[in-house]
Amino acid sequence: MSERMRNRAIGMGVAFAAFVVVLVVRPNLLEQSTAHAKEKPEAPNLQVDPLWPKPLPNHWVLGSVTGVAVDSEDHIWVIHRGADSLNALEKGAILDPPTGCCVPAPQVLEFDEAGNLLGNWGGPGPGFDWPRSTGGLFVASNGNVWIAAAGLAPAASRGPGGAGAAQANAPSPQDAQVVEFSGRGQFVLEIGHAGKPGGNDSTTGLNRPAGVSLDPRANEVYVADGFGNRRVVVFDAATGAYKRHWGAYGQMPDDSSLGPYDPNAAPAKQFREVTCAKVSKDGLVYACDRQGDRLQVFHTDGKFVKEVTVAKATLGEGSVWDVAFSNDPRQRFLYVADGQNKKVWVLDRASLTILSSFGDGGRYPSLFYGVGSIAVDSKGNVYTGETYEGKRVQKFAYKGVAPAGQDR
Amino acid sequence: MRAKRDILAGTLLLVLVIALAVGQKLVAKTTAAQGTSAVMAPKFEVDPLWPKPLPNHWYQGMTIGVSVDDKDNVWIIHRPDTLSQSEAAADQKPPTGTCCSKAPPVLEFDPQGNLIGHWGGPGPGYEWPESNHGITIDYKGNVWIGGNGQNDAQILKFTQDGKFLAQFGHEGKNGGSNDTENFGRAAKIFVDPKTNEAYISDGYLNHRVVVIDADTGKFKRYWGAYGHRPDDTNLGRYNPDAPPAQQFRNPVHCAELSHDQLLYVCDRVNDRIQVFRPDGTFVKEQFVAKRSLADGSVWDIAFSKDPEQKYIYLADGRNEKVYIILRDTLEILTSFGDGGRQPGEFFGVHSIATDSKGNIYTTETYEGRRVQKFVYKGLAPVTKLDQGAPWPASASR
Repeated sequence: MSERMRNRAIGMGVAFAAFVVVLVVRPNLLEQSTAHAKEKPEAPNLQVDPLWPKPLPNHWVLGSVTGVAVDSEDHIWVIHRGADSLNALEKGAILDPPTGCCVPAPQVLEFDEAGNLLGNWGGPGPGFDWPRSTGGLFVASNGNVWIAAAGLAPAASRGPGGAGAAQANAPSPQDAQVVEFSGRGQFVLEIGHAGKPGGNDSTTGLNRPAGVSLDPRANEVYVADGFGNRRVVVFDAATGAYKRHWGAYGQMPDDSSLGPYDPNAAPAKQFREVTCAKVSKDGLVYACDRQGDRLQVFHTDGKFVKEVTVAKATLGEGSVWDVAFSNDPRQRFLYVADGQNKKVWVLDRASLTILSSFGDGGRYPSLFYGVGSIAVDSKGNVYTGETYEGKRVQKFAYKGVAPAGQDR
Repeated sequence: MRAKRDILAGTLLLVLVIALAVGQKLVAKTTAAQGTSAVMAPKFEVDPLWPKPLPNHWYQGMTIGVSVDDKDNVWIIHRPDTLSQSEAAADQKPPTGTCCSKAPPVLEFDPQGNLIGHWGGPGPGYEWPESNHGITIDYKGNVWIGGNGQNDAQILKFTQDGKFLAQFGHEGKNGGSNDTENFGRAAKIFVDPKTNEAYISDGYLNHRVVVIDADTGKFKRYWGAYGHRPDDTNLGRYNPDAPPAQQFRNPVHCAELSHDQLLYVCDRVNDRIQVFRPDGTFVKEQFVAKRSLADGSVWDIAFSKDPEQKYIYLADGRNEKVYIILRDTLEILTSFGDGGRQPGEFFGVHSIATDSKGNIYTTETYEGRRVQKFVYKGLAPVTKLDQGAPWPASASR
């Protein structure tokens, strides 16, 4: 493919980067922003690779993608919702009688950097509760794969034919667990159990966790808990033992009704939905308050540090779905996947200033529908997963840094 | 464990593929294609970055028509109202996000993929379809649009600037397959430059091909499957093991006339092409992927651009591929595409057209919602019946 073709892909969304973005900056943040203002603002230059990954074998198709992660070997892991998220017309080959194309791919897929499919597994098995509807996934430094189970029974119907048309099984209970597997799909550990949700004060139960990640230094699991609860919960990764939890601003979470999100109201004292909890190398925890349109930052003990609001006027499902850190040692940049506005925001991690954004809505390469998961490899390439009817994983190749906010 | 699973899935697929192939001599064809006898067929590669992203945060819905004009500009029509609230977030009241807004229903791209025109929607003097369907640029450069909404019984003609020219039939006035004034949820229009007659695939409610005068709209003739007088008896579900149905099923989805005056009709759910003379005399039929159920395999056809129109390109939205068919014998030579959201893959590949250079354009309905370009790369020996996504050779790393 010619360089010309590659080059024309990304810039689109950047032209709109300054769109209705309201930064809620607390006083200490303002000071940091001033300090950084001396540096000429730069942001990573990313270009979509429209032919990554390679087509799946066996007429496999992806359902709604809910997680993407990169392991220590730069393999890219994807989790999707499989048959339950596929329209009958997308899974004709598994219907009885078969009507035509296609087959739901196994729900966990592993790709190499070139986009070749290396491994695939997933689905119910003895001794663990496979999610009725997957959330995020994370690959630990030991190669084990952690999966969040985010499903609320029963799955909603999606489009002609309806989702789950081929699902004759009895509905499984509501998800309330995270599950650890080996890289080959062997069950290792489960925290919480399906059908046994715990509340915001539970030390044993979860409620539809949306995301999971690990802090390798402490060997702790951070659970974004989630769609049912409104907290970050930390467990021992080896034993699954509860360690601590907190809500927005590091306060104890509660179940009080927040009502619908109002961008003009004072910031809510509780999270609305916690969809990510990821720990930086310098020991800061970034929590996505998706429908609260904000990212909150904590120390690993739960002490609140600061917050940033992104596209504050965003309603619907909200703007802050998932975050990923840039690959440089300082993790200078933060990428925020915004499924409602269908773009990826690029933030300066130290100041939480928005530098740039890329993407727009649509089905073509570099466009998004329901971009809800994001990860970065060791070379700085960015991978995104799309849920809803996006049903893709895309790669954005890192091309160095460029002046921020410029239409590339 | 993974290897076992791969083998199992692969085996299941193989069984399905074979099942679909039986009944259309594909198995025999496989042997021929893989043997030393070099069967040649047009070769295509997807252009993954065509068209360019739309401006204004515009977003495309189900895209249910494509046509190429004499300047090789590519026209598509889509259904803005099929966008979800999340897709059309900026159109909600209040807006729930900055992206996106519904693109106008008719979009015109230049050969490089730049959007150069857009219009469409209700206006004075005509009844815009409840659910637009099909777009055709005729030999005079006029734009024809069908409609498959519940009450759509009309077809429309506009200039390329979107100025209304004519409406034939009226909304809500469908009188069945023997009505000579209205249509029944018409799918598509083709205009014969030799006679100025318009052929209408009619449609999602009626069971016929209609020929009208393209200027006056006067009905000239119509017919059903095998050239029979059409009737609207409910045929029930398609059964691949039953004798071929004596009527078209809904929808009659295309009617395209070749240079040598043969009319190719898409009987979508019956999984067959029927061929007629312009007077409605039945010539022959060909089943394609005959075991396809649900929404059927024969969605739309386009002819290759050589003067003889040696090949037919057939869009199959059930099996998510485009077949390359020898027009003379109606034999399938090869196919490309597969299910999925990546370039060269499809979900609901619905419409197909070719430009003067032989490039193919496809559009996808359902949740596919794209137009894709497949670049003509000349004739090449057929090595696979089922090529999968036709990625550029340079992409094989």
